Amino acid sequence: MNLYYGANLLIYAGVDIIACLALNLQFGVSGIVNFSFIVFQAVGAYTAAVLSMPNDKAFGYDFQLYVGGYQLPFPIPWIGGAVAGGLLAVPVGLVVLRKLRADYQAIALLVTSVIANTVITNARPFLNGAAGLALVPPPLADQIDPNTAPYQYFYVGLTILAVVLVLFVVNRVVNSPYGRSLRAMREREIAAMAIGKNPVRLKMTAFIVGGVIAGFSGALLVGFIQFWAPSVWLYPETIILFAAIIVGGRGNNVGAILGALLVPVGFEEVTRLLNNAPLGLPAGVVPALEWVAIGLLIMGFLWFRPDGVRPEPRRVFEGGPDIE
Amino acid sequence: MSEGSTTARDHQPLLVAKDVHRHFEGMRAVDGVSIEVPRGQITGLIGPNGAGKSTFMAVLAGTLPATSGTIVFDGRDITRLPPFMRARTGLVRPFQLPSEFARLTVLENLLVAAQDNRGDSLFGALMGKRYWIEDERRLVKQARVLLKRFGMTAKESDYAGTMSGGQKRLVEIMRALMLKPRLLLLDEPMSGVHPKIVEEIQYYLQDLRSEGITILMVEHELHMVERLCDSVVVMAQGKVIGSGTMASLRKQPEIVDAYLVG
Repeated sequence: MNLYYGANLLIYAGVDIIACLALNLQFGVSGIVNFSFIVFQAVGAYTAAVLSMPNDKAFGYDFQLYVGGYQLPFPIPWIGGAVAGGLLAVPVGLVVLRKLRADYQAIALLVTSVIANTVITNARPFLNGAAGLALVPPPLADQIDPNTAPYQYFYVGLTILAVVLVLFVVNRVVNSPYGRSLRAMREREIAAMAIGKNPVRLKMTAFIVGGVIAGFSGALLVGFIQFWAPSVWLYPETIILFAAIIVGGRGNNVGAILGALLVPVGFEEVTRLLNNAPLGLPAGVVPALEWVAIGLLIMGFLWFRPDGVRPEPRRVFEGGPDIE
Repeated sequence: MSEGSTTARDHQPLLVAKDVHRHFEGMRAVDGVSIEVPRGQITGLIGPNGAGKSTFMAVLAGTLPATSGTIVFDGRDITRLPPFMRARTGLVRPFQLPSEFARLTVLENLLVAAQDNRGDSLFGALMGKRYWIEDERRLVKQARVLLKRFGMTAKESDYAGTMSGGQKRLVEIMRALMLKPRLLLLDEPMSGVHPKIVEEIQYYLQDLRSEGITILMVEHELHMVERLCDSVVVMAQGKVIGSGTMASLRKQPEIVDAYLVG
């Protein structure tokens, strides 16, 4: 296996793991059906891009149109991406999570995702429209040449660090009394209110923390692929992440990691390999079948194994009576 | 502080509702109800079906906003407070319907209701286990005392969703107690519960009263009301039509009529 392919695979896996951990916090733990998840990754990627790129009049960049272009050094673009994800969660959350019933929340968020993509595609001067942003400078490119083997190792290392950091944060949240409050709200919001929980505040917090992590994952990804366009964050991308959470196990961080490795990474790789294999199928059939397969996967798991490969752990406390 | 002022406060009712209305598109479910709930007592709320008892309880708990009127809890006007804030001030309403957190264990169902856990905020959670483990241990102990008292020690690690109807009711009551309530609003706490558990719940309610917890409860079983309640409020068609001890109410024919006819 060649190094560049390996690095590519590992970095995508890292990004998907981070995204799944964030979505698990929102959906698996808190019960927010965030069908606009990918938008938060996208805003992080765009923000990191325009923070690290020179402005659109600069030599070599003048074929694109975009706002900003500040050429800020690493890690500012990454921090900016994370902050942008959190900031976007505030207005979206305030509009969607306060008054609407859970099922309408899901619909509103899905529509938000479609609207956001359409707007960015068509408002070209903002973020270069459908063509997207290209030549995004990778982190520390002035110190290590991005087209070398050491840079691949470096970026894989950065990704691993990022995964560890995010896992540390979400584990603390999920396995705390606060995480318990989030789960209680997920189970029965009205009863949670009756015991003094403020569900709007709990949901907003989970939504914003998830938004920060999603934005961070976008920054991490765009630094590596050096390109970001509306075609990479269409709403079905969110569905893939939901499939990962359902397969892995809702409410379980380990499950979210497993799901990320099985669905976005595993499935997409298999599809790509099959597509390149000499099977004699017409072009486009394999990618189309991938969507069929993902749909079947979600249905199959919900039907036969609704708790996923790694179900949410039952919390048993020390010093209790022995069971069984 | 002088002894006199404490006594004066103790003699004031814990909850005062004044001219509370709740209308549903013209239908006056609660039509100018004024009641006082004395401290440290069990007050019964009785009346025929459709009298507006449950609606009134929901208005007191804040799940339904009052159309007009005022509700004062321990000297503080809470008419505009959202339900979760009322719960935090000690006005707690367990549900009439099963409302367990199904995928939390029985013990977790109790723990989640505690108000004083440092780990129950994003900041506390991020600070890590060492920051909140002491609170958690203390609350686990407290919850286990309740579990023992309600005979559910063996079930602590079972998911609450797997409990029977009566057990869920107990979980609900224990959860409310974890909140350290000052006023419990109970809506038919015994309905649909096995007679043996009914008896247990009765004892617990009396225990709670002796611990100083005030209770306002809707109940249909009149002999139960007679045994448990210090005073009783009768509602019919959205209004209060009488109040006093059960014995004094029985002597008023119009109340007996309203209750039996309704």
